[in-house]
Amino acid sequence: MLKKLKSVRFYLTLALIISFLFAAFSIYYKIRYWGFALEPKELTNVWAIETHITFKPTGDPIKVSIARPNADNTFKILDEDVVAPNKYMVQFEKERVILTNTAQQKEQDIYYRVLVYDNKKGKGKVYAPKPEVPSPPIFDEQSQLIARQLILEAAKLEGNPVQQLIKLFAQEPPNETVMAFMPKRKSAKNTATIIKDILSFQEIPARLAWGVKLSEDKKSFSADVMLEAYLKNKWEVYNIETAEKGIPKNFIIFQHGGESLVDVEGGENSVTKFSVIKSISTSFNMASHRAKLLGDKNWFDYSIYSLPIAQQTALKWLMIFPLAILVVVIARNMIGIKTMGTFTPMLIAMALVQTGFLPGLICFALIIGIGFAIRLLLSKLNLLLVPRISAVVIFVILIMQFFAIVGYQWHLDIASSALFFPIIIMAWIIERASIIWEEEGIKNAMKEVFFSVVVAILTYFVIVNPYIRYIMFAFNELNLVILCLVMLLGTYTGYRLTELLRFAPLSKDKTDV
Amino acid sequence: MFKFILPHSLRQAGILGMNYRNYEIIGKNNPRHLYPLVDDKVQTKQLAAQAGINTPALIGVIDAQFKVKNFLSLVKGRKEFVIKPAHGSGGKGVLVIKKFTQNYFRTASERVLTYNQVYQHISNILSGLYSLGGRNDVALFEEMVHFSTNFNQYSYRGIPDVRVIVYKGYPALAMMRLATQESGGRANLHQGAVGVGLDIRTGQAIAAVQHNQSVFQHPDTHVDLTKLQVPLWKEHLLIAAKGYEMSGLGYLGADIVLDQFRGPMMLELNARPGLAIQIANKKGLYHRLKEIDTFPKNLTPTERVDFVLAQSKDKN
Ligand SMILES: Nc1ncnc2c1ncn2[C@@H]1O[C@H](COP(=O)(O)OP(=O)(O)O)[C@@H](O)[C@H]1O
Ligand SMILES: [Mg+2]
Repeated sequence: MLKKLKSVRFYLTLALIISFLFAAFSIYYKIRYWGFALEPKELTNVWAIETHITFKPTGDPIKVSIARPNADNTFKILDEDVVAPNKYMVQFEKERVILTNTAQQKEQDIYYRVLVYDNKKGKGKVYAPKPEVPSPPIFDEQSQLIARQLILEAAKLEGNPVQQLIKLFAQEPPNETVMAFMPKRKSAKNTATIIKDILSFQEIPARLAWGVKLSEDKKSFSADVMLEAYLKNKWEVYNIETAEKGIPKNFIIFQHGGESLVDVEGGENSVTKFSVIKSISTSFNMASHRAKLLGDKNWFDYSIYSLPIAQQTALKWLMIFPLAILVVVIARNMIGIKTMGTFTPMLIAMALVQTGFLPGLICFALIIGIGFAIRLLLSKLNLLLVPRISAVVIFVILIMQFFAIVGYQWHLDIASSALFFPIIIMAWIIERASIIWEEEGIKNAMKEVFFSVVVAILTYFVIVNPYIRYIMFAFNELNLVILCLVMLLGTYTGYRLTELLRFAPLSKDKTDV
Repeated sequence: MFKFILPHSLRQAGILGMNYRNYEIIGKNNPRHLYPLVDDKVQTKQLAAQAGINTPALIGVIDAQFKVKNFLSLVKGRKEFVIKPAHGSGGKGVLVIKKFTQNYFRTASERVLTYNQVYQHISNILSGLYSLGGRNDVALFEEMVHFSTNFNQYSYRGIPDVRVIVYKGYPALAMMRLATQESGGRANLHQGAVGVGLDIRTGQAIAAVQHNQSVFQHPDTHVDLTKLQVPLWKEHLLIAAKGYEMSGLGYLGADIVLDQFRGPMMLELNARPGLAIQIANKKGLYHRLKEIDTFPKNLTPTERVDFVLAQSKDKN
C-alpha cells in the first residue's frame, strides 16, 4: 500500500521536474530566440532603412551591387526587399544585393529596403576572426618619412595608437605634417583611408566601415564612414572625428572593409541616399519574424501566437484558468477553506475581472442579497426541487436584467456589471445558502458564502495581475507545470492549515497566536 | 484567542487529517463501487438483514409521485413510523411520527403536521430535496425506534446515537452524539450537538465536547456527562464489526441507536465518517489505525470484538 503511494508520488514528482525543466528550456528558448520579453509591454525598436540609388545608364549592361547591413549582434534583419524597375535580376548574396539588367536608357531608381530591430540581448559580442597581418601600403620614400613623423607626433597624444592618429588628424588648426600628407579634398573617407594606411604601415590591421546612424525619421542622408582597427584581438570601431571607440548607439554597419556601399557598373553620376523610419513593435509581433529567421517557422505556426488575434485574446483568458484552479486547490486542500462548490470561487473571480473589483463585489452582494430574499419567500411555497431552483435561476436573470437597465439609464457601472456574473452559479449560491440557512442556521450559511468570496478575491488578485496574465500567456508551458503540481497536490496527505486550529484542543503543547 | 498547534505536535498526537483520511484511509480501503450500498438506506437495510444485523424494520418504500397519495395505507394499523429519504444525510428529511390519525401527525419533536404537509414532505423526498446532489430519491418508511429511557436525561429531544469507527472490521473509536437545543434536536456535531468520547472497551464516557470545547454537563439538561455509560456495549460493538463484512468497507462509521425493547440497532453506515470523533475522544485516530493494521486478519466479527475487548484490557 505504502509502496504504491510512494511510486505514485514518485512519478508525479518526476513529471513535475520534467515539466519544470521543459518549461524552463522553452521559456529560455522563447526569450533568447523568439525575443519574447519578460515584461508585458516591452517594446522593440524596428527601423526601416531605405537605400535609394539613382544613376544614369551609360549604355552598357547594368550591374548594381548594394551592401546589405551587417547582421551582427546589435541589430537583426527582419525583412528586406528591393524595389527596382522591371527586368532587374535580383540576387541576395551574403553581404551584398546584386541587381543586373541589360543596357538601359532612362535614369534609374532603385530602392533597397531593410527592416532591422534592436537586438538588445545580443549586444556586446562581436564575432572576430583574426585578420592577417596587413601588407604595408606602397609609400614612396617621402611618404614613408612623413608617415614615421606622424606616428611619432601621434604618440604624444592620448589613447591607443588608433585613437592617437585620429586625434592628430582631427586637430584644429590642422597639423602641418598632416596637411602635407592629405590630399587636397578633405573628406571623412579620405581621412579614414589615410589613417588606415598609416596603421597598416605599423602592422595594425584596419579597414573602413560604412553604416548609417539610426534616428527617428531621417531622410536623404549619406552613409557615415567609420574606422575599424584590430587591436588586442578584436575589431573595434572608431569615430573618425572624435576618436571615440565602439559602435555609437543606434549605428548600424552596412559594410566592413574595402568596397563602397553601392557599386554601379553601366551607370554614371550615381547618387545614394538613405532614409530611416522608426517604428515600435511589441515583442509578440516580432516573434513570428524572428522565428522565421531562425527557420523555426513551423514550430511557431503551431504555437498559439500565430493564431488570429481574436483567438489569441480568448486563449489569453483561458491560459490563466489553470493558475486560478491551482489557487482553489491550495485554498481547499492545503489551507482547508470550505467553499460552495469546487470552482464557484474561480468563476466569481473571473466575473470580477470583467466588472472591476469594487463594482463587481457590490453588484455580487446585491444580486445574492435580493435573490436570497426572494428565495426565502419561495421556500414558503414549498415548491418541488427542480421547479424551485429553476425559479431561482429565472429570478436571477430578471434581477440582472433590471440591474442592466438601471445601470444604463442612471450611468451606474456597478449595476451594469451585473451581466458578467454567471447566472447558474449565482442561482446555485443562492439556493445552497438558503438550504444551509434552513438546515444549519444563518451563521453557517453566511460563513460558507463568506469563505467562497474570500477565495474568489484571492483568486481575483492572482488572475487580474497583468504581469501574471502576460507570463501565463507568453510562457504557456507553465501550465504543464501547474498540471503536474495539481496532480501532486492530489497526493498531499499532510494537515490542512485550518486543521491546526480545529484539532488544537487535542495537543498538549499549544501555542497562543 | 486562537489556539494553533504545529503540524508536528498534531502528528505526535496521532491526529488524522482530512487529506490523509481521504487519500490513505478512504482511498485505499473503501472501493468506490461499494458506496451506493451504504448511501442507499434501502439497500443497507437489506444487506444488514442478510448479515444478521438488527435495524428498524422496513415498512415500505414509495418510489413514485403517484404512489404518494397511498402512503396512509402503507402505515395502516401502526401506531408510529418514520419517513426518511433513502439517500439522505445529516438527518435531513427525516420525519419521526410518533402518533397519527387520518389528518394529523405528531412528530417526535412535538410538531403537529397536517395530512397535506406530510404528503408534501414525501413528495419533496421523491424530488430529491434532501438527497445528495439533489437527484431523485425514494421515501423509505420504517419502524420507529423506541428509544431507551436510559438516555432521556442525556439528550434534548432527538435521540442520541452511538458512532463507532470500524477499521478493517475492528472497532477503532466510538462516541455518542447528544442532541442539544442549539443543534435543533439533531445529533450533528457541527450544528452544536455534544460529542461524548467513549472508551472502546467499556462504553464509558471519557470526554465530551461541544463546538470543539470541553464540556462536562449537557448544556440543556445539565446532566453529568462524565457518568455516561452505554449499556449493552458489546452488542453495539458487534453490530459495528459486522458492518465490515456487510458492506466490504475497510473504513466505516456505524450509527447505532439503542431500542428499549430490541436492543442496539444499526441506523446506517457511513463510508466517509467525519473526523470530529477524535476531538470527542481527545485522542487521534492515526495510532489506533496503525495498531489495528497489526491485528490478525480473517477473524469473525465476534472474534474481532473479543480481540478488541481483550486487547484493550491488557493495555489499561
Ligand atoms: N427509525 C427511527 N426511529 C427514530 N428515530 C429515527 C429513526 N431513524 C432515524 N431517526 C432519527 O433521525 C436521525 C437521522 O437518521 P439517519 O437514518 O441516521 O439518517 P441520516 O443519514 O440523514 O443521518 C437519527 O439520528 C435519529 O435521531
Ligand atoms: Mg445519521
